[in-house]
Order: sequence, then C-alpha cells, then structure tokens
Amino acid sequence: MTARPATSGAARFALIALAIGFLALFLLLPLVAVFAEALAKGFGAYAAAIAEPDALAAIRLTLLVAAIAVPLNIVFGIAAAWAIAKFDFPGKTVLTSFIDLPFSVSPVVAGLIYVLLFGAHGWFGPWLRVHDIQIIFAVPGIVLATVFVTFPFVARELIPLMSEQGRDDEEAALSLGASGFQTFWRVTLPNIRWGLLYGVLLCNARAMGEFGAVSVVSGHLRGQTNTMPLHVEILYNEYNFVAAFAVASLLALLALVTLILKSIVEWRFDYQRGGAGH
Amino acid sequence: MITVNGLSKRFGAFPALKGIDLDVRDGEFLALLGPSGSGKTTLLRIIAGLEFPDAGRVEFNGEDVTGLKVADRKVGFVFQHYALFKHMTVADNVAFGLSVRRRGQRPPKAQIRARAEELLELVQLGGLGHRYPAQLSGGQRQRVALARALAVEPQLLLLDEPFGALDAKVRKDLRRWLRQLHGRMGLTSIFVTHDQEEALELADRVVVMDRGAIEQVGTPEAIYMAPESAFVSDFVGESNSLPVTVTGGRAHLFDRPIDVALNGAIDGAARLAFRPHDVSVCGERVGCLPLLVTGVYRSGGEWRIEGEVAGIDRTIEIDVSAAHPAPDIGTRLGVRIERARLFQTGEQP
Repeated sequence: MTARPATSGAARFALIALAIGFLALFLLLPLVAVFAEALAKGFGAYAAAIAEPDALAAIRLTLLVAAIAVPLNIVFGIAAAWAIAKFDFPGKTVLTSFIDLPFSVSPVVAGLIYVLLFGAHGWFGPWLRVHDIQIIFAVPGIVLATVFVTFPFVARELIPLMSEQGRDDEEAALSLGASGFQTFWRVTLPNIRWGLLYGVLLCNARAMGEFGAVSVVSGHLRGQTNTMPLHVEILYNEYNFVAAFAVASLLALLALVTLILKSIVEWRFDYQRGGAGH
Repeated sequence: MITVNGLSKRFGAFPALKGIDLDVRDGEFLALLGPSGSGKTTLLRIIAGLEFPDAGRVEFNGEDVTGLKVADRKVGFVFQHYALFKHMTVADNVAFGLSVRRRGQRPPKAQIRARAEELLELVQLGGLGHRYPAQLSGGQRQRVALARALAVEPQLLLLDEPFGALDAKVRKDLRRWLRQLHGRMGLTSIFVTHDQEEALELADRVVVMDRGAIEQVGTPEAIYMAPESAFVSDFVGESNSLPVTVTGGRAHLFDRPIDVALNGAIDGAARLAFRPHDVSVCGERVGCLPLLVTGVYRSGGEWRIEGEVAGIDRTIEIDVSAAHPAPDIGTRLGVRIERARLFQTGEQP
C-alpha cells in the first residue's frame, strides 16, 4: 500500500468532526432535551404523568395497534416478498412498485384515503352506518392506517434477501421429500430470520410512532382513540410540558431500544451472510 | 431405465428444448454436455421434476412420471452451489430427507443419526457431522450435498454442474472420486457439464446438446473420434475447420482434390474438420497444403504451430513432433491432412 497524501488526515478529521457535530446538534441534543424536560419537575411528576389514566389508555392503544399491525405485516410482507423473489409472473414490477406506495405517499393522504372509504360520507359510509360498524374515529381505522403506512418495512427488507438466496435451498428441500410447509418452516424461515427480525423492528417502531395517518382517522378522543404520539400533541397544546415530554420520553426510549436491537441484529445478519460462503 | 420422449419446453419466446428423445440405461453414468443455453440444465431439471415440459413424456422404468413433483420421484439432486442448509449442522443436513418423512415412515432419531454418520463416512467426512457448512471447504460441501441426496435412497442421482464452483485441483480429485463411488454403488446418474474434459473422463456415455436439441449420443471414444456433426467436432476437443466444395463425388479445397470420406455429403459447400495432431509435415511437394507459419509454441513434446492457409484467409493449428526443428515464423510449411471428417454445411454453391 502506498502512503496516503498528507492532506487526507486533515480531511478525515474535518469529515468526522462534521458528522459528529451534526449528529450531536440534530439528534443527540433533542433526545437529551426530551428527557430533561420530562424530568424537569422531578421523578415524581414524571411517574404521575405516565400513570395518568388517559396516558395509560394511550399506551395500551398503541401497544394494541402494534400488536395487530405488526403480525399482519409480517404475514403480508413474507407473502409478497416470497412471490416477488421466487416466482415470475405478469405484473411483478407493478406489485413491487405498489409495495413502495406507502413510503412515497404522505401519511396524511394515507389517512384521508380511509376517511374517503369508510367515513360517514365515504364510499362505504352508509352501509357501515346501517350495520352499526364504526371504522373512522375508532380503533379499526387506526389499525388500518397503521397497517398501510408500515406495510413496506418487512417486504422491502426481505425482497433483496430472498432474491439473492435464489430457489436452490427450497428446491433441495423439496427434492429430499419435504412438504411445502416443512420447506418454509425449516429452510426458508431460518434463511431469512435476521432480515425478517430487522424488518419487524423497523415496522414496530413506525407502528408505535406513526402520527400523520393515525391523526387523520383517530378523532382524538381522550382515553379512547388517542395513541401515544397523539396524546403527546394534545398535552403539549395544553401547555402541559412535563406530561407531554414524559410520554414522549417513552417513545424516545422505544427508539433507543429499537436502535440497540437493530445493531445487534445487523451484526448477526452480517455474520451469517459473511460466514455463509456464498 | 429412464426414457424421455419428445420433450419440449419454452421459456417465453426462447425454445429451451426442442423435442428431446433419450434413453438412460440402468446403472450408467451419463453426461449432458453443451454450451450455456443448450438446454442441458433444463433437461436435467425436467427429469428431476423441478421443471415441467410443455410437451413430451418422462418415464422411470416404464412408469409415466411427467406430472409427478420432485418429492414423489425418488431422485437425488445435487446443485452447483451445493444448496446446503447453512443454519443446520452437516449431520442435520444429511439427515434432512429422513427427518421430514411422515410419522410412521420416519425412522427413529437414533437410527437417522446413525444413517447420517454412515453416509458421512461414505463421502469421507466421518466425524465432521457437528460442523456447519460454512466451516467446510468447497469440495467438502459438495460431498455433504451428495451424502444428503443419497440419504433418501434415490433411484436416480442428478447432478447440475457439480464441480462448477470448485477450483481446478479440487475439481479433478473430486471427479475421480465420484467416478469410483459410482463404480461401487452403480446408481444411475446423470450430470450436466459444459466442460468436455469432465464429460469425457467421467461418463459412460455423453449426450452432446446444442440449442435445445441433441447433436450426438455416444461413448466418450465415439464422441471424440467420430463426431457426427460439425458442432460436435468443434465443441469436443480441438478442431480445425476449412471450407471445401464437393463436386463429382470428391471434396476440393480450393480446386485441389482432398482424400476424405464423403460422410454422406452431396455436391455443394461443406466443411473439412480435423484435429491438430491429424496432420503431417510433407515439405514443399505437390499436393501438400501450403501454410504460412504465424506462431510456434512448445506444448509438451510437440510444437503447436499456428499457420495461415495460403490462398484463403483461414488460420489453423497443427501439432508436429518436436523431433523436427521448429519452423521459423514467416516461413512456408507444407502439411498433409491425414485424417479428417467432412460435414455438409447446408448452403449450396
């Protein structure tokens, strides 16, 4: 290896300093501010803000929505990725672009789509009213909007991975007499497990943190249709800063935990890929 | 006995196979040899049941299996890139075929484990069962893949470019070893390769394919010594080719008659094909092919001479004994074609 030019040392230092400075200013500082504000009036006030019934309801609703949306998107994501990566069929490229739709469309529009479909004046509104089914301004609408905006995470993660792996392993399993289910459970799933887990983490983080789409369909009924992000906004608008930041700190904690898990998964994922030999 | 009848397959507009007929004898080691795109892998995959034909039949011992899935055909399949399950140990890989059997047909766990170990011994990997595929070399991985395929006691072993991902030395060793293993087990086996040396060394019979059709089926000896088409002559072994004309029952290389069997060629354009070593040096006498020497290389005990045939813009390669002094580049050399084959090219003069 030849010696590096003398200037590269300075350039490298400048780049690293810039990157760290930027991260500190735009990411670390706000994060610290969240926890500082939340604990501004002591730990007692912090605990009380979280234990407040409406806050607890928001936490419960957020967990419920994620518990429905994430498994659904695991199933949809695997099915879509499997179809796209392992089979050739007409309309494949169209399906692939459709998967990206929730990323490319504004979350507000995503929410409005459901209002248009299921709202009182929407396409299915009259029918729903007759049958006494409430979707918009109720939990089903929140779940639908969340499923919509979080759909791409699992599929996006799996499509390149499954394409790269090809069909050899599945064909080998089938040729050895395995059924379709055995092949999926014992060969395909272990092959994609780290990629899948990575996708699930991102999907979950977004499902719990989604604001725009959920805000449109929720109706903001305290203790009923408020998720954590919506609850934070309401508290903030009421100048109840300690409570707002207390709930926000929970979301920030979720982000941190997700980041740590993501790093661990990434590390395992690379290890598995690197050690696989092909 | 495996019988393939009128097999055709298209991928979109591309005809991968065009009416293939083939018999595979019990216990034989058959090579499907051809360039990429010749349809050899497609044929193998259809025999396996991994792909299904548009037309035609596949029979195993007289029983029609054309519509049967791979799982129901009792075939072992070995992939070019091994396709080992990387999250399982080597022993679990080998045991996979037995462990997925339905309850009732599945042997007890201890018996499966013993069988896996026995097969690993067979492929000379005894004691490595606890390792993961990533901890093995390429040659070892391919032997694990073979043991895994053998575990289900297939009636037919299919190998898709089994040595394709290995380096030259390992490839040679593994192929000798596989030849011996086949000799001991006598399991009917078909393998796909684009490497003619591999096909000629390993196989009892070779099927040469080109553009979705079979060009020739025969022993390695017959394929090499008596190619039946210009394609086989070009593809298998080294070969020179010169344009000739057939008139009045004789072949002419630019108006000079050449002694060669007509091989059924009628009057018109034809190609004269001959191997580099089927040529002798004959000085400047009349009746010799005049060659302008453009290159001389030492190759073993012979000179490999590249030369331009005077009068036509064609380069040929010949081997002459190194007992002669090497001819200088730029000099003329008279050569005589001792053995050649003639192939009708189709186009008429």
